[in-house]
Amino acid sequence: MLSYILKRLVQGILTVWFIATATFFAMHNVPGDPLTNDRAMTDTTRANLEAKYGLDQPTTTQYLIFLRNLSQGDFGISFVQENREVNDIIREHFPVSAILGVLAVIFAATGGVLFGALTALYRNRLPDYLIMFLVIMGISVPSFVVAALSQLSLVAFNNLIGFTVIPVAGWGTILHMLVPAMVLGLSTMAYLTRLMRSSMLEVTSSDYVRTAKSKGVPATRIFTRHQLRNAILPVITVLGPAIAAITTGGFVVELVFAIPGLGRYFVEAVQQLDYTVIMGTTVFYGAFLVFMVIIVDVLYGFIDPRVRLET
Amino acid sequence: MSADGEKLNTDTPLLEVENLHVEFDTYGGTVEAVRGVDFTVDQGQTLAIVGESGCGKSVTVQSIMGLIPMPPGRITAGSARLRGHEVLGRNRIDGKEIRGREIGMIFQDPMTSLNPTMSIGAQIAEPLQVHRGYSATDAFAEAVHLLEMSKIPEAAKRARQYPFEFSGGMLQRAMIAMAISCKPSILIADEPTTALDVTIQAQILDLMQDLQKETGMAIILITHDLGVVARMADEVAVMYAGRVVEHGSADDVFYRSAHPYTVGLKEAMPTNDPALQHELKPIEGSPPDLFAPPRGCGYCARCPHAMQVCDEQPPTGHFLHDHHFSRCWLHHEQAPIKPETIYFKDAKA
Repeated sequence: MLSYILKRLVQGILTVWFIATATFFAMHNVPGDPLTNDRAMTDTTRANLEAKYGLDQPTTTQYLIFLRNLSQGDFGISFVQENREVNDIIREHFPVSAILGVLAVIFAATGGVLFGALTALYRNRLPDYLIMFLVIMGISVPSFVVAALSQLSLVAFNNLIGFTVIPVAGWGTILHMLVPAMVLGLSTMAYLTRLMRSSMLEVTSSDYVRTAKSKGVPATRIFTRHQLRNAILPVITVLGPAIAAITTGGFVVELVFAIPGLGRYFVEAVQQLDYTVIMGTTVFYGAFLVFMVIIVDVLYGFIDPRVRLET
Repeated sequence: MSADGEKLNTDTPLLEVENLHVEFDTYGGTVEAVRGVDFTVDQGQTLAIVGESGCGKSVTVQSIMGLIPMPPGRITAGSARLRGHEVLGRNRIDGKEIRGREIGMIFQDPMTSLNPTMSIGAQIAEPLQVHRGYSATDAFAEAVHLLEMSKIPEAAKRARQYPFEFSGGMLQRAMIAMAISCKPSILIADEPTTALDVTIQAQILDLMQDLQKETGMAIILITHDLGVVARMADEVAVMYAGRVVEHGSADDVFYRSAHPYTVGLKEAMPTNDPALQHELKPIEGSPPDLFAPPRGCGYCARCPHAMQVCDEQPPTGHFLHDHHFSRCWLHHEQAPIKPETIYFKDAKA
């Protein structure tokens, strides 16, 4: 198991290096640079600034400098927000995105497993039809619509009570986090519900569940001991990519709910070609996701004994 | 058989199935999978149920075990009594669970019949925990002991392994250990050796016989392999199109076959005895459509001796002697012909 984790970590570092390199060259091939903006700039000023940031060097030299700094964990200074270190931006804003993301993933995973199992249990009956209808809605309605609608209903709800129970936007307490996390996790939850339903139906008609019945195992114990653990495997497999989708896809939700997360910087930096912030956020997100996928894979090994030996 | 009142005088058999009817609703209509099955099993005896695919063998035993999914399945008539207590539609008799406790069951494909994410030992231990209230530790220790009984080497180590680490034959041994863990009075084996290669088959059958001697349980063996029947069975029930067409001791059924279908099955069996000059003769045609079962005898369309009455009325059962039964019009006293391949009541053995 240990050598398996080690192997995955080395693979992960290679992946992050690849992400960094690809982003670096893609970014430098986009027309324009961080110094191109509305402000008029004389050629001398421009040359001085370029020299200051090292932009006058050939791209390969810049790449090597970037790699050296990266290996020391230094992402540099933002071009646009002067004197602000990228590390500081990440340090301040990533925890907000992470908490939101983790809450959303927990919400999506528990909801998906629960509703998926429920629909399989009530197959072709009212609860199944109802939940599957909501699932289609959850998958097809974009998150900004759901976000706006949930804000609207929050306003109505707070008006009804007479004072603000759940804040409509902003960040701080757990009450602030609840609704955005649900909105963020909704489409993933819907997807996981569908996955869990089909996998649960497959397990229910499997030979080993029949064997368990023939042993006289009570239905609840068959459900917890035999069905759930086997049915959950495909859900765990897609959980890694799902975490990726949720944490990077949080930008819209962060914007609508006025949450000071990293997503805003990520998008703004691309628009302004703020090289260091782009590189910093991309590499950081990349590393974070690779790490999450490794954790999910290790978790998978604990649930499915067949994976443990394939090191 | 007890319907004919010939067997009730002795003590009640261990398991008595009477006039069992099972139907399934499908998109194509209702399938009458089992259309009146009777048989009895006595303590310590092995009953083999033989017949081709789709004749209702598995459905019959799964009905007894309560494993028929309902819906779409439906038991429309009949009864199955274990020591005189009705088991159909019940979970327990006499305060004891039927499934796992009174009747153990093993299945055709051991590779898919065990839970892939649960250790072998834990799966064998489960019935003990459920039915006997063993603690997890005690049950696991007993599971190791049961694996030893099933002749699995290094049982303690093996019990902690998972199904994917076992071979097919080993898995079937583990299945047997699991089925007999609560010392059931009957072991139902639904084609236990079909998925295994021949040498392993023999070992599994030997194991079942050894365990039967040790525990005195009865075995209901479902198979379409007449070789397995000859090796294992005390009694044989031949099923065709949802009915038992011939029932008797293994010797009766093999050497004094009284139903044209049994004779057909025997002729279709390959042999390696050159002295026999035996030509392998398949049974022409295919079994009747059980969506719309024939009015008369199910075997009529394929039977070389079919008469007018066979097509019009279902055959009644005839006892050749008190234990040998055939459901064929040829045994009726007014039957015009007596084909020489068929054994008759007054024939010299």
